[in-house]
Amino acid sequence: MRRSILSVGDWLALPVVAALIALCCAPLLILLAYSFFQVDFVTISHDLTLANYAKIAGSETHRSLIARAFGSAMLVVALTAVIAYPVAWFIAKRVHAAKSTLLTLLLVPLYSGDLIRIFAWRVLLGAEGAINRSLMWLGVIDEPLSGLLFSPLATHIALTYNYLPFMVIGLWLAFESLDDTWLEAAADLGAPAPARFLRVSLPLTLPGLVAGGLMVFVMVASDYLTPQLLGGASGITIISAINDLFGTAFDWPLGSAIAWTMLSILMVCFGLGALAIRRSSLVAEDV
Amino acid sequence: MTSRSSRKPDGGGRSARPLLEAFKLNKTYGTVQAVRGVDFALSENSYVTLLGPSGCGKTSILRMIGGFESVSSGALALDGNRLDETAANQRPINTVFQNYALFPHLSVLENVAFGLSYRDVAKSRIKVLAMDALKTVQMEAMADRRPRQLSGGQQQRVALARAIVNEPRLLLLDEPLSALDRRMRKDMQIELKDLQRRLGMTFLHVTHDQEEAFALSDQIIVMRDGLIEQQGTPEAIYAKPETAYVADFIGGSACISADVTGREEANVVLKSAFGTFTVPGVPTLNIGDKAVLCLRPEQVSVVQAEPEGKAILKARVVHQVYRGSDWLLECDCGDQIVQVLHRDTPPAVGDDVTLAFDTSKVWAAAADPRAGTPSETGAA
Repeated sequence: MRRSILSVGDWLALPVVAALIALCCAPLLILLAYSFFQVDFVTISHDLTLANYAKIAGSETHRSLIARAFGSAMLVVALTAVIAYPVAWFIAKRVHAAKSTLLTLLLVPLYSGDLIRIFAWRVLLGAEGAINRSLMWLGVIDEPLSGLLFSPLATHIALTYNYLPFMVIGLWLAFESLDDTWLEAAADLGAPAPARFLRVSLPLTLPGLVAGGLMVFVMVASDYLTPQLLGGASGITIISAINDLFGTAFDWPLGSAIAWTMLSILMVCFGLGALAIRRSSLVAEDV
Repeated sequence: MTSRSSRKPDGGGRSARPLLEAFKLNKTYGTVQAVRGVDFALSENSYVTLLGPSGCGKTSILRMIGGFESVSSGALALDGNRLDETAANQRPINTVFQNYALFPHLSVLENVAFGLSYRDVAKSRIKVLAMDALKTVQMEAMADRRPRQLSGGQQQRVALARAIVNEPRLLLLDEPLSALDRRMRKDMQIELKDLQRRLGMTFLHVTHDQEEAFALSDQIIVMRDGLIEQQGTPEAIYAKPETAYVADFIGGSACISADVTGREEANVVLKSAFGTFTVPGVPTLNIGDKAVLCLRPEQVSVVQAEPEGKAILKARVVHQVYRGSDWLLECDCGDQIVQVLHRDTPPAVGDDVTLAFDTSKVWAAAADPRAGTPSETGAA
């Protein structure tokens, strides 16, 4: 009886599995194949070669763009984590009736679309923007700060703002399952407040931090619009390089190789994240 | 567990000053008054139980002493020093939590060593002391396990070790045995009492189980509705309940309403619907007071002929419960159920019986002043 119910589930899952294989795995494999081809004038030669990967490894520009993408991603993960910890704690532990309202408010900006939010930041950060005007009115500065917009600063402010909700959601879930008596026990045993956070709250919310962090990391590393529209001269990213290679340069193999290099690094990050969650012992390792 | 001296006050001039004192202790949650101005004192090296049904305020008292709840009004003092303004992590008090609250991400040994890192203990000594504490509760073999790999009873022991390793002045135990099965509970009761004697620490244990309180305690504080109903040794509370509530809650007494019509030295004369009895009773009962005659099941017997020197009640058996070694009979004396322990083959349900009790062995307690006057329970 039980088995037959389960087998119905198997059949129902089949289309999803098929779609995943057809729409997700297959294109990636095609991309992987292309990364071993090479451009021969205006055609693509199908002789397998590692030349594309060698080119990436040998190119200062590509290496620094990839490093910058992951460096930015790490920075934004750190910023969102610092901001999201108190927010997630507050929503999980201090709010009761208004909990769903707050969570909805947190997600509302996501409904407005990337472009709208990016242009909103332009309005805020521009030479004639709200921040410059207020600072000038207060007499803190005499002329508008030009570094606010079209700079790495603007890019990272907007990225942090954009992806903060994902970190908050991850941490909020972790705080929901954090039993307050653990913190009482830590206080009972003499731990002052900072130690209670570092030795109890932090390790026990680590799965939420890793989950939220991975989401933010992946999305920032592959974000294209924000640096393009707010970064100015710093707006060239590895993603825009891939775009150029596939578009104007017609070098699909090199573009594929860069994409797969990024993907491999991301997969390593995911592997490390999964390991961190397992090591944190919150996933049962039964006797 | 060896050197306990470190936390003791200057060893020489130790007076009879109590270890912990509560003065007019109050706890209010919104409009609910959980603890309503209680006074009590705990002495050194004693096992004290806060006993009462759920919602009587006993856990609130424990949490105020531990520092997890603020004191609404009143004060707590430890060794004569104000305690209630000290942060929880600064108090020389440790707690065994009801759900144990072991840190799931740390090994058993790391759990036990947790508190030591905030005390003046050399790093090299921490592991030794933690292992010693685990040996005290026979858990040294489990030192490298994670809490989730332990049974409830084992987690209980680790929680104990984690608390006592810090050599607290006072150990708080919040219903520590409630999650264990009956047999394990009996074993742990004996071990807890034994541990308290060996360590010479004061244990304050919260429970709703009177059997547990009797098995463990030097002192019992019976609570009800945020107030202390009676406190004393288990013997005093069992043999000389001051109120009908205690008599009923502790001994399962039948409480027969009566008026005090006279006093004869230690005895009081009670006039009830079933006759007039002269029995020992609470010294504060005066002529004209409402009182109850407390009859515990083991003090009443079914008799064939009316015996000399005993009081009798006419009753009808309405229910019988077989309990292995004996029967518990419920007998209706007319508006009053009296329970009787009976060893032999019992009379059948519906039989008319004669019940007898020795008036020098039973007890008169004050009638429950709060019964029937719910407005007296104060704030809504």
